[in-house]
Amino acid sequence: MKKDLIIAILPLSLLLSSLTPTVLGATVEEQQIDLQVREIAKTLRCTICQNESIWESQAELAQQMRDLIRERLLKGESPDQIRAYFLSRYGDYILLTPQKSGMNWILWAGPFVLLAGGGILLYRTVSRWVAQTAAAKQDDLPPIDDRLRKRIEEELHSRED
Amino acid sequence: MKIWHFILVIAVAGLLALFYRGLWGDPRAIPTVLIGTQAAMFSGPEVRNGEMLSMSRFQGKVVLINFWASWCLECRTENENLMALNRRFSPHPDFVMLGINYQDRLEDAQKYLQVYGSNFDHVRDLKGTIAIDYGVYGVPETFVIDRQGIIRYKYVGPLVGPAYTHLTDDILQPLLEGRSISRS
Repeated sequence: MKKDLIIAILPLSLLLSSLTPTVLGATVEEQQIDLQVREIAKTLRCTICQNESIWESQAELAQQMRDLIRERLLKGESPDQIRAYFLSRYGDYILLTPQKSGMNWILWAGPFVLLAGGGILLYRTVSRWVAQTAAAKQDDLPPIDDRLRKRIEEELHSRED
Repeated sequence: MKIWHFILVIAVAGLLALFYRGLWGDPRAIPTVLIGTQAAMFSGPEVRNGEMLSMSRFQGKVVLINFWASWCLECRTENENLMALNRRFSPHPDFVMLGINYQDRLEDAQKYLQVYGSNFDHVRDLKGTIAIDYGVYGVPETFVIDRQGIIRYKYVGPLVGPAYTHLTDDILQPLLEGRSISRS
């Protein structure tokens, strides 16, 4: 009886042990595809939403775009190829982060250029103010008459008291 | 110091010009990258009879593609014009007009065509891939493809008033007559 049971279980366990790596492999691959879909979808703008990526959006178009990304990944396309496809259909608008090329450099460099320009302008203006209000020399000061000197001394004494 | 004043004035003028453009420009005018590019081939079931329709059947013809949906109010306002347009140009052997039903339920689309009428075929965009291939943002959107399969014109919004006249007189008529059109 025991022998029969072993004979019955053995092929089944062999079959299962041969299938497990395949199933695990498929699951791992599926997870990798999911991660890639997420990675790509997070960089693409939902064209009918307000400032949302197609990963975050619940719109039907966003869902269809995610499905299309998955389909293309399964066909063997790389994330860059898929992004290039969307770019070829919708232009720069589809990218949540503008490309660092052409006129887009104004977007990337503009704030830093303005900051640097503003800093230089501020430095020059402040330097000019400082130069114009430099500490006066002793000779340039108006003379103190006796009456003023007496008043100063009185005020100093009153503070000491 | 005067050079700084000059740069400041230029920068402020540039910013004001950008604001002006942003505030008063046409919000519908999303620049398309598809003008002058090869139109994507597609196929799908016809809305009313389920027959498979393929874009490849119309190679060598001037094709007008209109994306619409039954839930789209603006599509209703242009429907009469679309039928008038097809009546005017369909006698020309090189003219084809196709509707693409976008993000819709079949029964709603069929009811829409029954209620509002239509005199041309409509392909169902089952997975949204036709719309994505054509960089569609919403409906209605209209494309004109020339005999060489190149997208020559795109319009976002209902084809009424000057938009309709521009499409018929400045785009379709010249294309069918083999004349050049201005890039739009």
